[in-house]
Amino acid sequence: MSNDAVIEIRNLSKIYRDFWGRKKVQAVKSLSMDVKRGEVFGLLGPNGSGKTTTMKMLLGLLFPTSGEMTILGKSASDVSKNERIGYLPEESYLYRFLNADETLDFYGRLFKMTAAERNRRADELIEMVGLGKARRRQLKEYSKGMARRIGLAQALINDPDLVLLDEPTSGLDPIGTREMKDLILRLKAQGKTVVMCSHQLADVQDVCDRIAVLFQGELKVLGRVEDLLEVRNEMQMRTSNLSEAAMSDIRDVLKKHNITEAAFSRPRADLEELFLRTVRESGERPGRRFTTEEIAGKSGGQA
Amino acid sequence: MDFDVAPVTLRDLAESLKLWLILIGILGASGLLISMLLSVARNGVAGIGIFFKGLLSFLEDAGSISPRRVLALTNLTLKEAVRRKALLVFAVFAVLLMFAGWFLTDSNERAELQVGIHIAFILQTISWLMLPVVFFLSCWSLPEDIRVRSLHTVVTKPARRIEIVLGRIFGMGIVILIVLVAMGGIGYLWIVRQLPLEAKSQLTCRVPVFGHLQFVNPEGQPSLKGINVGDVWDFRTHIQGNTRARGVFVFQGIDDSALVMETKSAGDGSGTLQVQGLRMECRFESFRTIKGSESSIREGLQAQYTLSNNPREEAFGLFSQSETLRPLADALRDAQFRTAANRLDELATKVSADGEAAKNKQPAELQPTDYMGLQLGAVYAAGVMRYRKDADLESAMLAFQKVAEEGAALITKISSEAEDKNETLPGLHEAFAQSLRKLAAVLNQEADTLYEHLPKLEVPLPSFHVAEYHEGAAQNVKFVPRTVRFSADAETQSRFLASLFEKLNEADQLVEGDGLKFDLATQLQSEGKISAENSALVVDVLAEQLASGQLKVAGSKLSVADGRRWFHFFDSLIQKDLLISADDEGWMMERDLIKDLTQEGHLRVEVSCLNEQMYLGMARPDLFIRKPDRSFMVGYGKALVNTALMMMLIIVLGVTVSCIVKGPVALFFTFTFYIVGQFFHEFMQEILYSPTQQGMGAIASAVMTAQHRNPQIGMDVSETTQRVVQGIDAVPRAILWGFSQIVPDFSIFNSAAGFVENGFDVPFAETVVPAFLICLGFLIPCVLIAGALLKFRELESK
Ligand SMILES: Nc1ncnc2c1ncn2[C@@H]1O[C@H](COP(=O)(O)OP(=O)(O)O)[C@@H](O)[C@H]1O
Ligand SMILES: [Mg+2]
Repeated sequence: MSNDAVIEIRNLSKIYRDFWGRKKVQAVKSLSMDVKRGEVFGLLGPNGSGKTTTMKMLLGLLFPTSGEMTILGKSASDVSKNERIGYLPEESYLYRFLNADETLDFYGRLFKMTAAERNRRADELIEMVGLGKARRRQLKEYSKGMARRIGLAQALINDPDLVLLDEPTSGLDPIGTREMKDLILRLKAQGKTVVMCSHQLADVQDVCDRIAVLFQGELKVLGRVEDLLEVRNEMQMRTSNLSEAAMSDIRDVLKKHNITEAAFSRPRADLEELFLRTVRESGERPGRRFTTEEIAGKSGGQA
Repeated sequence: MDFDVAPVTLRDLAESLKLWLILIGILGASGLLISMLLSVARNGVAGIGIFFKGLLSFLEDAGSISPRRVLALTNLTLKEAVRRKALLVFAVFAVLLMFAGWFLTDSNERAELQVGIHIAFILQTISWLMLPVVFFLSCWSLPEDIRVRSLHTVVTKPARRIEIVLGRIFGMGIVILIVLVAMGGIGYLWIVRQLPLEAKSQLTCRVPVFGHLQFVNPEGQPSLKGINVGDVWDFRTHIQGNTRARGVFVFQGIDDSALVMETKSAGDGSGTLQVQGLRMECRFESFRTIKGSESSIREGLQAQYTLSNNPREEAFGLFSQSETLRPLADALRDAQFRTAANRLDELATKVSADGEAAKNKQPAELQPTDYMGLQLGAVYAAGVMRYRKDADLESAMLAFQKVAEEGAALITKISSEAEDKNETLPGLHEAFAQSLRKLAAVLNQEADTLYEHLPKLEVPLPSFHVAEYHEGAAQNVKFVPRTVRFSADAETQSRFLASLFEKLNEADQLVEGDGLKFDLATQLQSEGKISAENSALVVDVLAEQLASGQLKVAGSKLSVADGRRWFHFFDSLIQKDLLISADDEGWMMERDLIKDLTQEGHLRVEVSCLNEQMYLGMARPDLFIRKPDRSFMVGYGKALVNTALMMMLIIVLGVTVSCIVKGPVALFFTFTFYIVGQFFHEFMQEILYSPTQQGMGAIASAVMTAQHRNPQIGMDVSETTQRVVQGIDAVPRAILWGFSQIVPDFSIFNSAAGFVENGFDVPFAETVVPAFLICLGFLIPCVLIAGALLKFRELESK
């Protein structure tokens, strides 16, 4: 076990059962992965692929059917680990009869924070998530986006080392989404480890160092974003806007010389594509995990 | 309802604690075992390890409970209740109060009924309004929190689950406290303002001291019950008028603190003065065998209290239980100790003869009841004498004790089935007879001392009226001034004169020259508060006695010629009817209620009925000494405390159950628990402990039904089968027992209100303390159980 791993997951499985103990769904199948200190890790997958379930098991909200995991070096069922964790649930599961200030104060009191610290931290966070004007309104009056923001604020109340974000951008407008991504990068800059899950590929693409793709509870791909999205046998040139004449000239020149210019670079496939491909492949060959090369190569072949 | 609660002693508390610990032990052990088995069932052998890891982590949680977090969670619960408008219950209360006045106030009703109705209305309303709030709050809050998953966010903070439970319970506790204080306060003001003026004086908390009730039958013998006049309801039994029948109430713990001040108008009309005294309140039933005219019905009966301090009755009364011993008992009670000694000698002879008879296997002359009577009587006599801590009674006490011991040995042997019975019995009989003879000798020798040291003092109080129907409380309250004036009987009179003369003699106040002092009559009047006529009478009689040589003068002292004590001298004068009161009132005397009439805090009040052929009915709670009243607010507050405790208990139960099941189910369980505790607790006890219900179990009954046999005969099966069936049938019983032990008796919570409604103070140690302890007794295990349930369940599962 390397000291570097903040989260270690080994052969984790989760079967949801009904009241009588009958199997309903296998939400996670034999999942193994690590999250390293200081990275932004993305759990990617379509709805129902087991991302939330995995996260809840890490937090001790659900008990795994089998397998092991440690989080910050402690067992998932150890409450004391929560001192250094921040969690933004899928939807903001907050007390709707409290206002923003009371919410932050309440959660702050669950940590070893003095009143002064709590106040300072609450001011900072409300400022950061941009709820300054709404801080005295009860949460039941909040829009979905506002609820997301206050949810994020409460997750950061204890200045955690590890932040778990479940679908952080869901319900946010484009600007909000951008801000959220910036914030994640800021957290990373502060040296925190961030684990986020999403089905919005664009989110992950921009901020994650590494991603894992889950499908139907199985880990399909795990690797660095750059590696996964690199395409080898294609070229892409980027210039300023070209006139019709210039375009035909360049075409001529290329035809004639067949040479490479410095401005030419390798294009990046959209994650969207990666995603759909993985899904398609999984349909054909269930239970199989793909390598980075395979994914990248396939991408090239298709173009 | 019975307001005469048995006092709760430390021993009771220790007993309850023991039972509690046992139950907790059983519950805890079975809980652990079940969870271990569950863990093993789910995880195989590794389950054991998982179980212990879980247990360890749970203990760690319980050990690391942080007040800060609990407080935060408490605060949250409080806010939730307030913002979810649980306090709206106030509005309902206010509306009810606004209109209740129309229906409740009726100035035609008797004042104390009015008061009771108003108090009951407020207390009941408060509790009925709060019950639904409390049920829903406690049963719905956690499941709702889990359903909308707001709890997720909390448990992913360092909050321990057991802290969440505590926060819930405390938060709701504070909510009900606020609601109760507010409603209670408003209710109090409402009661005070709403009551008609004439009823307000009734708004008080009486502090009763109840006594023990025995009876004396018309022949003057002690008995446990009075006469039944034909009522189906045998709560009260009756004493016959104008006979020696008495109801004897013995009160304990009567001292200065029991006295009250009462304002009386001064005899000379010069205004009022404060008099200290004892207040007695009664509620007897009068039963007239002859109804007569309407006025005689209204007249009711005349009853009379006699305060009595009679150690001879207490010590020797029990001998009269057996017919044979009655002459002995009468002699002892009348202080005829020499006669009693003769009776004892006769009995000793019979005992010896019985020993001989036993040897020859002939029937005995004395019955077993006689032996029992002698033995028990001796135990009592020795006990009462020891209790008086009087050195002069020592030898008699020891002699009685010896009789008790020998009697016990003899009775044990008589009732045993031992082989050597007939050989050893004569010896035991002889020893017993010997002890009786010894006692007789002591009585003979000590007769005068015993008479002097076992004084009987009886103070008849003025008679009073008992109506045939209850017209109200006020007329039943009798005030007895601390210094009671009464017309003395012969014994008291001679004791009084003796002590007065001893005192005067000591101070050389009797003799002048060789005759009586010339102003002796005035002395007697001022020193002894003897009326002028009687003082003159005493001086005349003494002068005669001096002249006839019965008294003699030695120096400055007067003494009885034959060396007897003054007490016996006056006694003999009274026996000779020489000192019959010369004034019409009789020998009026004053005694102190506490100093002279109570013995170690015991006060004996005898109730008699004065009308011939009429009957006075009474039961233990019918007469009590009413100590200084407490303010109504005190009792009312205590009743509210008990209500709060009941709500708290429901909260604890509701929260616990709601940790594992959903709201409606939790509500169902908690409500069932409440209903069983409130309405069926007694019923369960009845099934478990009543002899009539201790029939056959279900299986045995089924077998007998199949075999067409009746319960007297039993089943037609082998011994082993019978045992097995009984064993199986014991299971539901054991479950019922467990259930009846676990489900608390909710009536203890309501009882407090009953006291206040009926104008009594709420006995703290007997009502509030047990309620509190029940609450605490549930709180501790429930918090642990709830914490564990919440910890080891997945919050997610739907
Ligand atoms: N409480 C639950 N009970 C039963 N099945 C569940 C429960 N929660 C999730 N599931 C199922 O488990 C699978 C994974 O769900 P989830 O982890 O929420 O997916 P994601 O977060 O990736 O959308 C889905 O098939 C979902 O239907
Ligand atoms: Mg999800």
